[in-house]
Amino acid sequence: MSAPLILLPGDEVPSDHLPSNNSNPLKLGPGLRLLSQPSSKSTPATHVLTATQAGLVTTDAKRNTVSLLSFSNCRYIPTVNDLVIAQIHHSSVDYFHCMVTPHTAHALLGQLSFEGASKKTRPMLKQGELVYARVLSIGVGAGAEVELTCVNPATGKSDPGGLGPLIGGMVFDVSTGMAARLLRASSSSEQSDIIDGLAVLSELGKKLESLGGFELAVGRNGKVWVDCSNAGDSAIKATIAIGRCLQTTDEKSLNPADQKKLVTRILREMNLAS
Amino acid sequence: MTGPTASLSHLSRADGSASFKCPTTGYNVLGSVNAPIELPARRDALKPEEATVEVFVKPGNTTAGVGERYVEGILRTMLQKVILGRERGFPRRGVVITLAILGGDAVERGDSYLTLLPALLQTSLLTLLSAGVPMSMTFSTALLAVTKSGDIISDPSPVDAKTASSLHVLAFSPKGHLLLNESQGRFDFDTWESVRERAYSSCRGAVITGSDGDIAMGEEGEDSRAEDFIRETVEDHLHRDYAWKIDSA
Repeated sequence: MSAPLILLPGDEVPSDHLPSNNSNPLKLGPGLRLLSQPSSKSTPATHVLTATQAGLVTTDAKRNTVSLLSFSNCRYIPTVNDLVIAQIHHSSVDYFHCMVTPHTAHALLGQLSFEGASKKTRPMLKQGELVYARVLSIGVGAGAEVELTCVNPATGKSDPGGLGPLIGGMVFDVSTGMAARLLRASSSSEQSDIIDGLAVLSELGKKLESLGGFELAVGRNGKVWVDCSNAGDSAIKATIAIGRCLQTTDEKSLNPADQKKLVTRILREMNLAS
Repeated sequence: MTGPTASLSHLSRADGSASFKCPTTGYNVLGSVNAPIELPARRDALKPEEATVEVFVKPGNTTAGVGERYVEGILRTMLQKVILGRERGFPRRGVVITLAILGGDAVERGDSYLTLLPALLQTSLLTLLSAGVPMSMTFSTALLAVTKSGDIISDPSPVDAKTASSLHVLAFSPKGHLLLNESQGRFDFDTWESVRERAYSSCRGAVITGSDGDIAMGEEGEDSRAEDFIRETVEDHLHRDYAWKIDSA
């Protein structure tokens, strides 16, 4: 792995940083664009990749992609297939109108796009309730509506599992970069304690196992939902502790060793240490 | 001489923010940007194919007046060219930049606004970078004053600027193209040409040998290049954000 390469808008991506896999075409991620100079009489056509945002260049040799990771506190912009935590704003005949990010147009969630929902048995969600949903479509052009779904239209199942109303628990705000890391860490198949530099989840899991464990849902829009309803009397304390651990890890960008220390410290402060 | 200082992304509710402090002039500017956002009440003013850039300059101690309107206009035309307003999600939406002047001598009504312009430009560039607004290039700026005796001072203090016979603000792209030229006062073409060379070397660090060949070589080393300053600030911040990724690599 070569040294980290950080680009500013207008910088060209050096060709030795591009993946050398030629079997399938190179895919560009966000923050990069292709500039081409059409061929003229004297010179052949030339292409350069330039950055449009400031960020760290990352490449994936297997999938032949190159993308730019920008600042981790960027605003969330919905993208198809992202998992988000949305809050119901109000409901109309066919749709629930949900808030995905503050101060933006509402996203639509069909009244019947839940697992096993029919006209008679559909969830009656009220204002302020939370749903874990997938972004189904983002529309075309400005002012288009973002549509969410809690069910895979092809199979009628909630896919991946766990989509649907979130009952109980509490939501914490984290940066969008942290949310993406948490999602990768929880979906990764690797059986290691530290994924993407995050040890906080596995550490919390070990420490809180005696209390009955906890449930976590991560939305790409920078929200984390935590529920510890199995923990009985200390459920609220444990929820707050998990939220504080995640938020502090995010704000101070702690390394794995510090994350473990933080978990121990916060659990002791809250009298949860087992 | 200490260089300027800046920090990025410290306002949590704005999409992007930055603060910039220049020790020689004492100016301290806090900027925030929200993009892309809907501008509901301005439907007639929106361009159909591009993002609309709006800039607001707020002085710390008074309400914005004629001088602020003037400098807002310069910033808007400059930034509109640099921002890629046709990227996905940007057309028919707004890029709203707010710059608050927190410190430094207030610009009195009728005074030159050019002394403040470089700080405002640097801050708006940093806020746009922090918000991840797509841009075609970055830029670096320089403020120069020509004294009555014909000497060129870069980064003049407020006193120098007041007594100068002309003031110049220039901005260059990383490829060395001149992006902005605002001048004020009495000067001739030869003066402007040497001002441009001096600004170019303070922005980009490259030494251009003038026609007479005597360029002060001593100054290149001590002045850190304005272009590098932006890059270092951004790199520092990204290194902190992605320490987990860079360390594990």
